[in-house]
Amino acid sequence: MSDPKDKIKTFIIENFLFGNADGLNDDTSFLEEGIIDSTGVLELITYLEEEFSIKVEDEELIPENLDSINKVNAFLNKKAA
Amino acid sequence: MLIHNFLENSAARYPDKVAVIHDDQRVSYQQLNTWSDIFAAHLQAAGISKGERIALLLENSADYIIAYYAILKAGAVAAPINPNLKPDGLQYLLDDLEPSAIVASFKTERLLKATKLSHLGLKAIIIRTPKQKWAGTPHKALTFEEILTTHSTTPKKPIDLTPDNLASIIYTSGSTGEPKGVMLSHKNIVCNTNSICLSLGITALDIQMVVLPFFYVMGKSLLNTHIAAGGTVVLNNRFMYPASIVNQMIDEGVTSFSGVPSTFAYLLNRSPLASCRDRLTTLRYCSQAGGHMAKSLKLALRKALPSHTKIFIMYGATEAAARLTCLGSEDFESKMGSIGRPIPDVTLRILDALNQEAPDGAEGMLVASGPNIMMGYWKAPQDTARALTLSGYHTGDLGYCDEDGFFFVTGRKDGLLKVSGHRINPTEIEDFMMATDLLIEVAVIGIPDELKGNKLIALVVSKNESLNQQTLLEICAAGLPKHKLPAEIMTIAALPKNPNGKIDRMACLRTATNKTRS
Repeated sequence: MSDPKDKIKTFIIENFLFGNADGLNDDTSFLEEGIIDSTGVLELITYLEEEFSIKVEDEELIPENLDSINKVNAFLNKKAA
Repeated sequence: MLIHNFLENSAARYPDKVAVIHDDQRVSYQQLNTWSDIFAAHLQAAGISKGERIALLLENSADYIIAYYAILKAGAVAAPINPNLKPDGLQYLLDDLEPSAIVASFKTERLLKATKLSHLGLKAIIIRTPKQKWAGTPHKALTFEEILTTHSTTPKKPIDLTPDNLASIIYTSGSTGEPKGVMLSHKNIVCNTNSICLSLGITALDIQMVVLPFFYVMGKSLLNTHIAAGGTVVLNNRFMYPASIVNQMIDEGVTSFSGVPSTFAYLLNRSPLASCRDRLTTLRYCSQAGGHMAKSLKLALRKALPSHTKIFIMYGATEAAARLTCLGSEDFESKMGSIGRPIPDVTLRILDALNQEAPDGAEGMLVASGPNIMMGYWKAPQDTARALTLSGYHTGDLGYCDEDGFFFVTGRKDGLLKVSGHRINPTEIEDFMMATDLLIEVAVIGIPDELKGNKLIALVVSKNESLNQQTLLEICAAGLPKHKLPAEIMTIAALPKNPNGKIDRMACLRTATNKTRS
């Protein structure tokens, strides 16, 4: 499993949904569905930085970059470019 | 004067002024007041009468505010509840509260459905933008949309309310581990609202950024103070993305921001606050309450904020509806570490073990009195008798008063820990972990943490040498709210004990601290 999207999805399911992926689509808003809270965002960022060797700058900590699997994936692509 | 009179008076003075901003929604005072009148009429039509409790189980929003003031206008009692609870936690509160109605949103519908409601005799469940099906259940479910777009032909009936009537029940963690409902009267909240407005100089020109939840008494005080003054509240539930908070503060010309220590730690460490310093031209002040904030954080905050932005440190308790003291910005450095002096109408004393007032500099219990002090704990007369004596409200905090009249808190009498603004009894977490049957004994202690106030560490003695710590953490994650989860589990051979055989918590703290350092 090397696809970043799959990795992100697995991380979300294992860490915030207790293994239950019901209702989680690639464009499901983490905020709207209450999947991730403040502490959870920190955990997500730590994971992304470690797994994908990136640095999430403070001004990049916005929902447009992090609020769904698709948005995180797009953010990672932008960082890699 | 009653709490909802704040809204009515401000609506009469500033009908077209924006009272609430939430995402794209802007609600004027007149709209807010009219909608809460309509909502109150619907509550009465559903059979809600004076003194009945209504649970508020939804996130900060204009609809929350409409429902809150509507409940008060209907003469009922507003009981805000944390929407992030697990079903067991919610069940306990609902069974204790025995509400006649619940106001929820689509985010808390699943939680409600997982909770047993049939024995409560609910007269109504009102849900904001529901996604679940409620038809066919025994519960009469209405939507906000149905209520607010159907103008009731029945006007709100006048209610015979006095300032001493119960207005709100706010649950807080108790020393026994079970939450206790703090009963606040209209007078308690009105008086404290006025005191806070005076202390912080809140006026109709103020625009408050609200990131704290309304179910927390400090969050609710941000609402009531600014509605009372005719100001504006900007609701932002995206604090997990602090850059968006700072951007909105600039865009909306916010004049005040309030938080607990972890709020500021996050803002300082993970947001562009410092780099936006020159753009925060309208930020008049920041206020911090909800526990002790480390000196390093206070100094970092002072450096990051514009020089014109004042910093107020405040201290209070849910039982005080919600603030007791304020450290003015002018004393920020000279009295670093102090919680300040009592706000108007509050009397604070340091009492020794004999209930006598301690001399300046001597440590004792902080005891508060004034018209803001609670009526008591809901259905808990013994707890009430312990907390409210002839001397006043025993805060449970130890401290002293210096010769200049400034108060300092030195610790908690009962060992509760504050984590991310939540008051936590470690015993509750320990009991949960023991119930897994994986452990011989456990002590949950808190190591001071700049971000959270305290970082919870569980020192465990396992039954089996091959204890899987990850499994234990997953069990905790499934059953405990996030703020009660141990950040780390440390396995040791035996917990340190006192000569009388009780667990020595100070020694546990030393052990955990040493292990963390190594």
